[in-house]
Amino acid sequence: MRRSPSAEVGAASATQRTAAGGRSGIGRLVPRLPILGDLRLGRRLGWVIPVLIVLVTAIVGYNARAIGQQRGSALVVYTAARQRALVERYTKDVLLVVDGFQADPEDSGEAMRQPVDVLLDGGSVRAPQGGGARVKVSPARDWKVRRKLEQDRRLIDELIHTGDRLLKGGRSDPGHGADVTRLRVLSAQLSSVSNDAVQEITQQTEASLSRLVRIEIALGLLSVLAALALGLLLRRAGTEQAAQFRSLVNNSSDLITVLAPDGTIAYQSPSVQRVLGRRAADLVGTALGDLVHPDDQHDVNISLTKLVEAPGATANFGCRLQHEDGSWRHVESICTNLADDPRVNGLVLNIRDVTEQAALRKSIGDLLHNLARRSQGLVDRQLELIDELERSEVDPDRLHELFRMDHLATRMRRNVENLIVLSGVEQRRRWSESVPLRDVVEAAVAEVEEYDRVQVAGIYDLTLAGRAASDVAHLLAELVENATSFSSPTTRVEVSGGPTGNGYVLEIEDHGIGMSDAELAEANRRLAEPLAADVAVSRMMGFHVVGRLAARHGIRVQLRHCWFGGVAALVLLPAVLLGSAGEHPAMAPPVPAGVMAAPEPLLLAKTTESGWQPRAHLPLRRHAAPAPNRGGDTDAAAEAGEPVE
Amino acid sequence: MAWTRARRRWAWALALVLAALALAVPLTVARRHEPTPSGTPVNVLLEDFKVRQDAAVVPAGTVRFRILNQGPTTHEFNVIRTDRAPDKLPLQRDGLTVNQDAPDLDHLDDASGLDIDDRRTLVLRLAPGHYVMYCNLEGHYLGGMYAALTVR
Repeated sequence: MRRSPSAEVGAASATQRTAAGGRSGIGRLVPRLPILGDLRLGRRLGWVIPVLIVLVTAIVGYNARAIGQQRGSALVVYTAARQRALVERYTKDVLLVVDGFQADPEDSGEAMRQPVDVLLDGGSVRAPQGGGARVKVSPARDWKVRRKLEQDRRLIDELIHTGDRLLKGGRSDPGHGADVTRLRVLSAQLSSVSNDAVQEITQQTEASLSRLVRIEIALGLLSVLAALALGLLLRRAGTEQAAQFRSLVNNSSDLITVLAPDGTIAYQSPSVQRVLGRRAADLVGTALGDLVHPDDQHDVNISLTKLVEAPGATANFGCRLQHEDGSWRHVESICTNLADDPRVNGLVLNIRDVTEQAALRKSIGDLLHNLARRSQGLVDRQLELIDELERSEVDPDRLHELFRMDHLATRMRRNVENLIVLSGVEQRRRWSESVPLRDVVEAAVAEVEEYDRVQVAGIYDLTLAGRAASDVAHLLAELVENATSFSSPTTRVEVSGGPTGNGYVLEIEDHGIGMSDAELAEANRRLAEPLAADVAVSRMMGFHVVGRLAARHGIRVQLRHCWFGGVAALVLLPAVLLGSAGEHPAMAPPVPAGVMAAPEPLLLAKTTESGWQPRAHLPLRRHAAPAPNRGGDTDAAAEAGEPVE
Repeated sequence: MAWTRARRRWAWALALVLAALALAVPLTVARRHEPTPSGTPVNVLLEDFKVRQDAAVVPAGTVRFRILNQGPTTHEFNVIRTDRAPDKLPLQRDGLTVNQDAPDLDHLDDASGLDIDDRRTLVLRLAPGHYVMYCNLEGHYLGGMYAALTVR
């Protein structure tokens, strides 16, 4: 059962709708915004968001441009003011030198040229804030400004030319007076032209800034409109989605229940009317436990109590809930602890009505059980017949054939018993007295066809509760059968045991090829969570049977890799099923190891030494088939492990 | 042929366009036939730092100065009546601008803030006499930006 390929579950490749749901065109280019969560925005919102982004980007861009223009304008004003000061200084320097005072008009003339050169051609000037820093000034682009600055440059040339003439001629020159006047006039004209250029630049900057401000106001208004549209669309999308969700909840066949921390129902979806015939409003404030079947309340309480202690965790459980008409409905619930979520503050139960499935399952189980019972009766009769033939047969070859038939019939019987287990019907026959654990182990080994490959070692002298003996023997037989089937016929399968803190663990190890990690995980999952009978179960029936039998008695079964290869199955028998001459398993000494090939008298009888009759009709001669070429001597056969009456 | 909805819509649009045209054309024609102001035209060119006009003598009456500033500097255009020679106008205390408040100057009108390429028209009713046209920004008059006009 174990090395068969894992059942492939065909996952339907359903197309997942994105949270933006059905967007197309530019909407598809818009990334999902985390702030919007799972809200389906629709195509319209896909247009609004990029528009808003473009508007905001434009506003930022225009702002940056306006700031740059303001800064440039301030620099130009500063530069022009500096030039005016230099013109005045040059004029004074010339006049001072002509009057015999010391001054350096050449230096101030050179400095006077610099600002206009920078404004016309671009360059750097000393920063207004001082400190030796320099600021770059872009060349003037406007044709009006450029013509005024060019005029400025011509006037400076003429001023310097006039100054040179004054300096050269001195006071004695006949044209001295006219040159002084000319110097003053040129100085005034320069001042006028400079002012004019600055005014032009300032006006243009102001006009540009006004334009920018108007554009920004318009963009701002558009942004506000876009934001309003976004808000409205979001609100509409939210409303539509809420309505859709409400409709889904109201018309769903599932129930959604929110349990408050005190166990009362804080919210109940209206679909409860359809499932339980009760009004949702009537249930709010009542305890969920009032609806749960008394037999299920314990399990439900345990599940919910565990869940309450683990915020965010999810648990599944099934139970029966009472309908308004008094009938019981089978339900399956997925419960999530959302106590940490302030919007919920409780346990959310998604409850599905599975009454029909349960009835169908029960019907199938009953059918399975009835058929299996009939087959079981036939197989039992067949085994009895074979038994009688074996007892009367003296020919070793024929006896060997009879043993083979016996083994096959035994396997058939276990298959039939597996069907009974899967049908969900409990074994009717249970032993009231405790049974030695070793008897149970050996009875299980005896049911396996290749029992002679099995070595039992170190089983403690413990007793097993009679109610579990038959199921444990079945469980062990399945695991041992699995171990022998999926390992080489030349290797041994070892069954050993040892005490643990909370019980006794039996280990069945084989030396086979082992299992992959995925297969092992799948098998362990099947063992831990046995499913209802379905197709998958039929493929891995052994694990499901083991899982079900284990679940009946609180036994844990787990598979793991062996360090030398192969697989080890660990069966943890809880302390509550165990007993011994002493009170603790550790106090009972282990029985020495032995290979099952050695005949064990207790298994050769219908009833073991302890008086326990291994499952229904345990074959009487499991231990060793006589060699076909061996003689028909019953004593020799008995020595070799043949059944002896 | 039945009038479909789309045809009706097109018909409405056409009717609206025709109505707009019917209103706009007469208005445009009416504006074009506005009467031009009468008077003797005098074309004045301002430039750094000169004033030029196409007529030095005009008949008395309405004179229409059509001013164009060729710049590159911003200028202003002043008209005064005086018997002084154009280059002998009294100056203010700064020695750079004309004292327009001097008793022998009669300041008639002006056009200020003429930027490069600006055009302005100044209409004055001038009696016979001597007039001077000049720019009174600092240094402009002294730079030679004046011209004489005689009205007979």
